[in-house]
Amino acid sequence: MIIHLAIKSLLNRKLTIALTIISLMLSISLFLSIDTLRLGAKKSFFGNVKSGDLILGSRSGEIQLLLYSLFQIGSPTNNISWESYKDFAEHSEVSWTIPISLGDSHKQFRVLGTNNQYFRYFNYRNKKQLEFENGEKLNDMFDVVIGSDVAKTLNYRLNDSIVIAHGISSQSLHDEFPFKVKGILKKTGTSTDRLVIVSLEALEIIHKDWKTGSRIPSVKKTNIELEKEDLKPKEITAAIIKIKSPIKIFKIQREINDYEKESLQAVIPGIALSKLWEIVSITENIMLSITTMVIVSSLIGLIAILYSTLSNRRKEMALLRIVGASPKNIFSLLLMEALIISICSIVASILLTQLLSIIVFPILDQKFGIYLEYKFISIKDFYFLMVVLFTSVVVSIFPALQAYKNSINDGI
Amino acid sequence: MSITNNILEVNNLLFKWRKTNNFKLKINKLAIKKKKRVILLGASGSGKSTLLNLISGILEPNKGIIKINDTCITALSSKQKDLFRTENLGVIFQQFNIIEYLSPITNILLPCYFSLFKNKKISFYRERAADLGKKLGIEKDVLFQKKAKNLSVGQQQRIAIIRALINFPKIILADEPTSALDYKNKEKFLNLLFDMCEQENISIFMVSHDNLITKYFDDVLLLEKINEAS
Ligand SMILES: Nc1ncnc2c1ncn2[C@@H]1O[C@H](COP(=O)(O)OP(=O)(O)O)[C@@H](O)[C@H]1O
Ligand SMILES: [Mg+2]
Repeated sequence: MIIHLAIKSLLNRKLTIALTIISLMLSISLFLSIDTLRLGAKKSFFGNVKSGDLILGSRSGEIQLLLYSLFQIGSPTNNISWESYKDFAEHSEVSWTIPISLGDSHKQFRVLGTNNQYFRYFNYRNKKQLEFENGEKLNDMFDVVIGSDVAKTLNYRLNDSIVIAHGISSQSLHDEFPFKVKGILKKTGTSTDRLVIVSLEALEIIHKDWKTGSRIPSVKKTNIELEKEDLKPKEITAAIIKIKSPIKIFKIQREINDYEKESLQAVIPGIALSKLWEIVSITENIMLSITTMVIVSSLIGLIAILYSTLSNRRKEMALLRIVGASPKNIFSLLLMEALIISICSIVASILLTQLLSIIVFPILDQKFGIYLEYKFISIKDFYFLMVVLFTSVVVSIFPALQAYKNSINDGI
Repeated sequence: MSITNNILEVNNLLFKWRKTNNFKLKINKLAIKKKKRVILLGASGSGKSTLLNLISGILEPNKGIIKINDTCITALSSKQKDLFRTENLGVIFQQFNIIEYLSPITNILLPCYFSLFKNKKISFYRERAADLGKKLGIEKDVLFQKKAKNLSVGQQQRIAIIRALINFPKIILADEPTSALDYKNKEKFLNLLFDMCEQENISIFMVSHDNLITKYFDDVLLLEKINEAS
């Protein structure tokens, strides 16, 4: 009976109640979305670093090396010599390495020089391997493998021809050396999607006629005989190193940091990223506290609605009292109304966030490279929703108590 | 328990509002015999509604005994009082007799919900409501329409009568039910109410400041006289 009364009374105040529900729904959805976004960003961030144990590079800031070599964000780092790389690549404790050479670009995308180790060992998120949507790995000198975003944005298909630009500004092109699209990777949700991958050797060749940024006019493609040239790369940007036994990671790191022939450094990606994330998480916490305040204000709105109707409904409550309702019944009626409002808001916000995730996730992915895996509410979200429900009922105790007090003396 | 002929008995009643308020109600003796129609006249603010609230068990007197149908309600717990009220009293107000967002039939059945239908089926009470409606000239489709919002004042008042009667009360308490009506409608309303109460052997205790209607009653009391504190 109390439920019936509560529902009918809420329906009678459709507009105000609907507005209250919308306000609560929006604030809950805001919290849920920001949380999903935060976790998604964290995941796509940390997702890239699952491959190796160490990042080998020149001595620069840890975070700079990490961001540049793994995410192609930030300023370039110095290169390291091929010999130094070889020293560690052939180290007895090292299981495998992926060399990385950066610097060139194609349209808005970065060119990554590496070898086929990359396709074999690079993995992301939960040990997922790179897979080919079309084609296969690098075979010939001028083969190129492109990430799925590159393919989608530039509308490339297999065997399309690609010209690489020198440096990040695409003014000067390596147009004597057209590459051919050999493979297109499946979507990973990591920065790999935005890479144009070529072999280290190819990078070496196309830079033969270049000396630190300017073209030497005399050296033309025709002057180079591919077979004869020494195709061994001279420098790379960084390398991902996998150590055979995890307990040796720190030992190898020390060895690299103490390397005498060249000043090198080894970064443990997980640790460096966590440091970085600590900085990021300040903003994250600010965002979360703002959304929490938004929720609090909606809850205050809820109590305000309940309070404001109390005086209007005094006669109604008195009538209920006369026909037999106890003050306790009146109390539970108001609590029930609050409960129904918050349950409606929660259900609505679940629906809204689900709808948003279907609509917005692909857009986020395309526009910002934030890849969010679709999920129904997580356990954490569920706890959060329960807390909202609980809080809304707890705060509604105040107006309900007021109604209780009023109804003790209110009758005819 | 001694069986008396009284449906309502008030003895040595004293009531004061807890807040700083000079109003006092002190009634030595007030008794209403079974099946009688009694009207209590009093100016507005003289404490008529307060007295009805005391009788219905909403308010607690500072002193004294109130007996309804030989049950001493001042000795009941507040929970028992709430139940006693639904089972034994019918109440009609001057205004606000219905909750607009509920259907007329739900309005009528409200006392039954709170007395848990006294082990009878809901259909029994629905039939009774329809039956009473027929006697009072309320069509079934009016009774079972979705919301009571659209009812006319006359219909609302008849719905209030049906609600007051639905749970087979022993006595009906009415707080100035006629003061919003013109003379013709007053008469019509009182006739309907008295007819129904006569058929069901129910006593009536009405309070009002309207001395034009006293001729319809068996007994006329003046609050100024019986309230010794005034
Ligand atoms: N809830 C209340 N709290 C305090 N005083 C009240 C309350 N209701 C009524 N009173 C006071 O009790 C007195 C009697 O009021 P009431 O019983 O409503 O008179 P009547 O029904 O005869 O017009 C008035 O002086 C009024 O101010
Ligand atoms: Mg009054």
